[in-house]
Amino acid sequence: MSENILTQQFSLENVFKIDEYVKQGGYKAVRKALQEMKPEEILEEVKKANLRGRGGAGFPAGVKWGFVPPVDKPKYLCVNADEGEPGTFKDRYIMSHNPHMLFEGIIITSYCVGIHSAYIYIRGEYESIAQRLEEGISEAYKNGFLGKNILNSGFDLDIIVHRGAGAYICGEETALLESLEGKRGNPRLKPPFPASVGLFQCPTVINNVETISNIPHIILNGAEWFVGQGLAKDGGTRIFGVSGMVEKPGIYELPIGTSLKDIINVHAGGMKKGKKLKAVIPGGMSAPVLKADEIDIKMDFDSLVNAESMLGSAAIIVIDTGTSMLDVLKVITKFYSHESCGQCTPCRIGTSWINKIVNRMVEGKGSKKDIDNIVRLASNILGHTLCPLGDAAAMPILSLTKKYRKELESRL
Amino acid sequence: MSPEFSEKIQKKIKEIVARYPQKEAAILPVLHVAQQEFGYISSEEEKQVAGILGVKPIRVREVVTFYTMLNREPVGKYHVQVCSNLSCSLLGAEKLIDYLKQKLGVEPGKTTKDKKFTLSLVECLGACEQAPCMMVNFEYYGNLDKKKIDKILDDLK
Amino acid sequence: MVKIFIDEKSFEVEDGITVFKAAKEAGIAIPHLCYHDAFPPEGSCRMCLVEIEGLPKLELACSTQVRDGMKVFTKSERVVEARKGVLEFLLAEHPLDCPICDKAGDCKLQDYYETYGLFESQFREVKEKREKKAKIGKNLIHDEERCIICKRCVRFLKEVTHTQELGIFERGIHTSVNIYELLPVDNNYSGNLAQICPVGAITDTDFRFKTRSWLLKKGKSICPLCSRGCNISIEYHPGFPHFQVPKKVFRIYSLENPDVNGFWICDLGRYGYSYIDENRLDRIMIKKEEQKIEPTWEQSLQFIAEKIKGLNFLKKTSQIALVLNTWLSNEELFLIHKIFKSDLNVESIFFADRPQSEGDDILLTPERSPNRRGAQEMGLSIQPVKLETLATKTRLLLVFGSSIQDQFSSSDIKKVLDKIETKILFASHSNDLISFFDIVLPTALIAEKGGSLTNVEGRIQKFSPVFEPSGDSLPEWMMLADLGREFGINPSFYEQLKTPEAISIETEKEIPFFREKK
Ligand SMILES: Cc1cc2nc3c(=O)[nH]c(=O)nc-3n(C[C@H](O)[C@H](O)[C@H](O)COP(=O)(O)O)c2cc1C
Ligand code: SF4
Ligand code: SF4
Ligand code: SF4
Ligand code: FES
Ligand code: FES
Repeated sequence: MSENILTQQFSLENVFKIDEYVKQGGYKAVRKALQEMKPEEILEEVKKANLRGRGGAGFPAGVKWGFVPPVDKPKYLCVNADEGEPGTFKDRYIMSHNPHMLFEGIIITSYCVGIHSAYIYIRGEYESIAQRLEEGISEAYKNGFLGKNILNSGFDLDIIVHRGAGAYICGEETALLESLEGKRGNPRLKPPFPASVGLFQCPTVINNVETISNIPHIILNGAEWFVGQGLAKDGGTRIFGVSGMVEKPGIYELPIGTSLKDIINVHAGGMKKGKKLKAVIPGGMSAPVLKADEIDIKMDFDSLVNAESMLGSAAIIVIDTGTSMLDVLKVITKFYSHESCGQCTPCRIGTSWINKIVNRMVEGKGSKKDIDNIVRLASNILGHTLCPLGDAAAMPILSLTKKYRKELESRL
Repeated sequence: MSPEFSEKIQKKIKEIVARYPQKEAAILPVLHVAQQEFGYISSEEEKQVAGILGVKPIRVREVVTFYTMLNREPVGKYHVQVCSNLSCSLLGAEKLIDYLKQKLGVEPGKTTKDKKFTLSLVECLGACEQAPCMMVNFEYYGNLDKKKIDKILDDLK
Repeated sequence: MVKIFIDEKSFEVEDGITVFKAAKEAGIAIPHLCYHDAFPPEGSCRMCLVEIEGLPKLELACSTQVRDGMKVFTKSERVVEARKGVLEFLLAEHPLDCPICDKAGDCKLQDYYETYGLFESQFREVKEKREKKAKIGKNLIHDEERCIICKRCVRFLKEVTHTQELGIFERGIHTSVNIYELLPVDNNYSGNLAQICPVGAITDTDFRFKTRSWLLKKGKSICPLCSRGCNISIEYHPGFPHFQVPKKVFRIYSLENPDVNGFWICDLGRYGYSYIDENRLDRIMIKKEEQKIEPTWEQSLQFIAEKIKGLNFLKKTSQIALVLNTWLSNEELFLIHKIFKSDLNVESIFFADRPQSEGDDILLTPERSPNRRGAQEMGLSIQPVKLETLATKTRLLLVFGSSIQDQFSSSDIKKVLDKIETKILFASHSNDLISFFDIVLPTALIAEKGGSLTNVEGRIQKFSPVFEPSGDSLPEWMMLADLGREFGINPSFYEQLKTPEAISIETEKEIPFFREKK
C-alpha cells in the first residue's frame, strides 16, 4: 500500500511555517542534495524515478532537465502555479499547506540544473497564497536555505513570486514565459523549446508545482521507492482533485493507476445523494469526456490515452444525469473562446464560432446541421493551431458531440 | 485623472523592478500595485507605468487588455466575481448568478449605483471542491447558497 | 546542401532554410498571410500548413526547417482541406466587402479564396462589429473588420521604425490592432503598412477609391528622391491616347532589394510622385530674340553645338560654364565629363541640387538627389554655384535642372543671367526660370529614360524607362551624345553612343570605379 507523499503533512496546521516544517524533518532533502549529491546524481535519480509532469502533458521531468544545454548563460526555473485548468485545485493545496516542500523541490531542481533564479508564476486570483509564498521565502532566506552560499555549499539561489492576472493561456509554458517577460500571454512558436531558448532568451526549465514538490521525496527515499508508489509504470502518486456531483469533493492523493471508479465511489464518497452518474471528465476540462460505463479505468497516462482521453492535471469532474450535456457544451465552448489568446486563426475564430452556435442551440434555435458543423469546425481546429489550447478546446467538444449526440439532438 | 504615484509606491515599484533582469518584466506586478492603489488602470496609470519601466504606453495597454483581472474601468468597493465554470455550474452557479443579479440589481460587468458592488462572471477559480464559489476582492467564498450569499453581502459594509 | 522532395520532385536546397523558402526557390507557391520575408516566422495565420512524411500533424512551411531526405507535400488532400478550413475561419468573421475595398486585386485573402475556397459560408452567426474607416495616420485608413491579426503592421513598426504606434489589444475573438488613444502612425515609413497588410485592413488614403489596382500597369524603377536609390514599382494608368487622356501615376510600391532598401521605401518616395505628371515642360522654348531657329531638337542642339564650336575655335572654352545636378545618370555625367572636361577643358562646372535635409538611420539620406555618389566617382567635384563667378566671365551657360532657384532668388538669378550672352536650360518642369533663358529644352525623368545611378553606398543600379517621356522631352544622354557629335572633336566616338548601355561600356573603360564595381 502506498503512503501519502505530498499531502501527508497537510493536516498539520502550522507546517506552512518554517519552524514547524523543519521540526517535521523539513529541508533534510535539501541538505542531502546540496551536501552529499552531485547534480548529475540528482538528475540520474529523477530520471530513474520516471517522474512525469503533473501539469498536463506528462513529460518526464528528468528528461526535460537533461535538455538544458551547458551554455554560459543564466538559466531559469519557472514553476507553473497558474492552475487554470477547470477542475484543478491541487497546487493551491500544496502551496497553502506546504510551501516549504515546494521550495525544497525548487532548490534541489535549481542546484541540479545550475539555476540561480527561480520564478513561481502563480495565477493572480491566488493572492493570499502568493503572500504566503512570499512569507515562506523570506523565512527560507533567514534560515539560509535561499540566497548566497546555501548551507555552505557555494550554491546561490533566489526565488521570485510572480503573479499572473487572469489568463488561462498563461499556464501554457511559452505563454507563461511571455507573460513573465511583461508581455501579452501569446504562446511562442516552437522550436526553439524553452530548455534552450526560454525566459529572457535563456535556457529555462518549466515544471508544475506538484511535479517539483515530488523532488525532495525522491531525493530522500530514492527513485526505486518512488516508482514503487505507483500502480502503473509511472512513478509516484497523483493528487486527484474531485469536484462536481460527488458526496465528498476534494483532493485525494493516490497511487498513479488507481481506478477512476474507486476514486469516485470510494474516496470521494460516491455520487451526491439521489444523483446518478452520467459522465466524467478525468483530467481537467481539456480531457475528452468518459461515459458512465467507461470509468472502470486505471488513472495513469497510458490507460487514459488508450481510452482516447487524458490524465492531464488529474482533475476529475463528475457529471450527473440531471445535467444537460448541451449546458456542459456551452460552458466548455464559452471557456475556450474566452481564453483563446487570439493569436492564431483556427482557435481565435473557431472557438468563438462554435460558442456562438452552441449559444444559439441553447436558445432553442439549433438544428442537426449545427451539430455537424460543430464537429467539422472542431476538427478544423484540431492539430492546426499554434499551441495546444486549440486541441484542448477541440478534444472535449469532439468527444462530447460524439458520445452525447442523441441527447444533443433531442434538445433541439 | 489619478494622482501621481506616491513615494511609497514608487519605492515598492523600485523593489519589484530589481527582481528582474529586464525592466519590462515588471509590468504585471507593477500593474497589480497600481490597481491596488487606484482600483483600476486608466490611461493615466498606463502612462505612468510606461514611464517608470521605460516602455511606450501602448505596450502597457497591450498587456492591460489581455488580462481579465486588470480593470480598465472603476469597480465597486467590493468586486464580486462568481465562477461560471463547469464544477460550479454543475452545482447550481447559474441560479446563484441570477440571484446575485437580482439582489444587487445589476447585470454582470456592471457596478451598483452606490459604487459598492461590481458583479462579474469569471472562469474557474481553482476552488472547485467548494463549488459553487466566488471571490470578493481577493477573498474566496465556497459552498455557496442563497442564504450564504445574503450573509456574505450583508457583512460587507 | 540537402536533398528534399516537394510534391514528389527532388530538389537540392541549402541546409537549414525553411520549407517555405525551399518551395519558393523551387517555384512552388505556398499560401501565407502572416509570414513576410522581412521578419522571422510568426506562425499565426496557419495558412501555410504542409504535410511532411513521418510527422503526424501538418506542419508550418514558414517555420519548419528542411532536413535531408524530407518529403513535403503541399497539395495533398489533407493540406488542401486544412487550408480550406483556415480560410473558412478567416472569411467567417470577414466583412466580405471586396467591391468597395481598395485592396481588391492585391488581396491575399481574395486570391486564396479563389484557389482553395469558392465554398459557401456555413457561418450563420452574428459577426463581430468593429470600427471601420478609422484614420490612423496621415495617409492610412484602418478597417478593423478586415484585419486578420497577422501582426505584420505591428512587427514593422516595432522592428523597422521602432516607433510602435500600433499595438494588439484584447484577446480571443476581440483581438484587435489599433493605435494608442489618438496617437497616429506618424513616421516617414508609414506607407509600407498599406503595402504589407495582406488584406484591406490598412489602406492608403492617397489611393483610396481613385482606381482599381487591376487597371494599372506597373514598371520597375528607382526612386530619385534621395541617394538611397530604393527600388520601386511605379503603377500607372496608361491613359487613352486617342482621347487625349494622358497616362497618370497612381501609386508607388516598394520592390524588394536586400542590398539597397530591403523591402521598404519611405513616404517621401512613396507619396512624392505627383512631379511625374504635374507641371511638366513638354515643348522646346526659344526666346523671341532667337527667331532664327525653329523650336526643333535638331535646330536647338545645332545652335548650341555651333556656340561651343565657336568658343572652342577661339580657345575661349573658359567662357563656357555648366550648372549640373545629381539627378543626371552615370551615363549623362560621363558624357558631360567627356565633352566638357576632356574634350573642351571647361573649368567652370558647378552643381546645384535640391538642398540637403534631414536623413534617418533607416533609408532616407540627407542628400535629396539620386546620383551624388555617381558624380563624385566620375571625378566631377561637386562645387556649389557662385553667382558672381558665373557673371564675370561666362558667355555660354548650360544649366541642367532648376535647383538654382532653391538657392538664389529669381531676381538675383535674372541679374546674373542678363549679363550672359547665351544661356540654355535643360529642365523637366516649368518654372520661374524659364523666361530668363534663350533656349529651354524639356528633359525626361528617371522613370522615362534608361541609364544607371550610383547610390550613397556606391552601388550602381540600372533603370529602364517605365513609360514614354512626357510631351517632346528627351533624355539628357541623347542630347549630350548629339552635342558631342555635332561640335565635332571626336564625332565617331559619340556616333556609336546610341543607348545608355553603350555609354555605360565607355564609362567602365575610362573610369576605374565603374569598371571595378561591375
Ligand atoms: C492551455 C494550456 C494551459 C495549461 N495550464 C497549465 C497550468 O495551469 N499549470 C500547469 O502546471 N501546466 C499547465 N499547462 C501545461 C504546461 O504547458 C506545461 O506542460 C507544464 O507546466 C510543464 O510542467 P510539468 O512537465 O511539470 O507538467 C497548460 C498547457 C496548456 C496547453
Ligand atoms: S491555439 Fe489559441 S491560445 Fe494557442 S496560440 Fe492559437 S489562439 Fe492562442
Ligand atoms: S492591419 Fe493588416 S497587417 Fe496589420 S494585423 Fe491586420 S491584417 Fe495584418
Ligand atoms: S529613402 Fe530615398 S530613395 Fe528610398 S523611397 Fe525614400 S526618398 Fe526614395
Ligand atoms: S469551476 Fe468554479 S472554481 Fe472551478
Ligand atoms: S504563413 Fe505560416 S503560419 Fe502564417
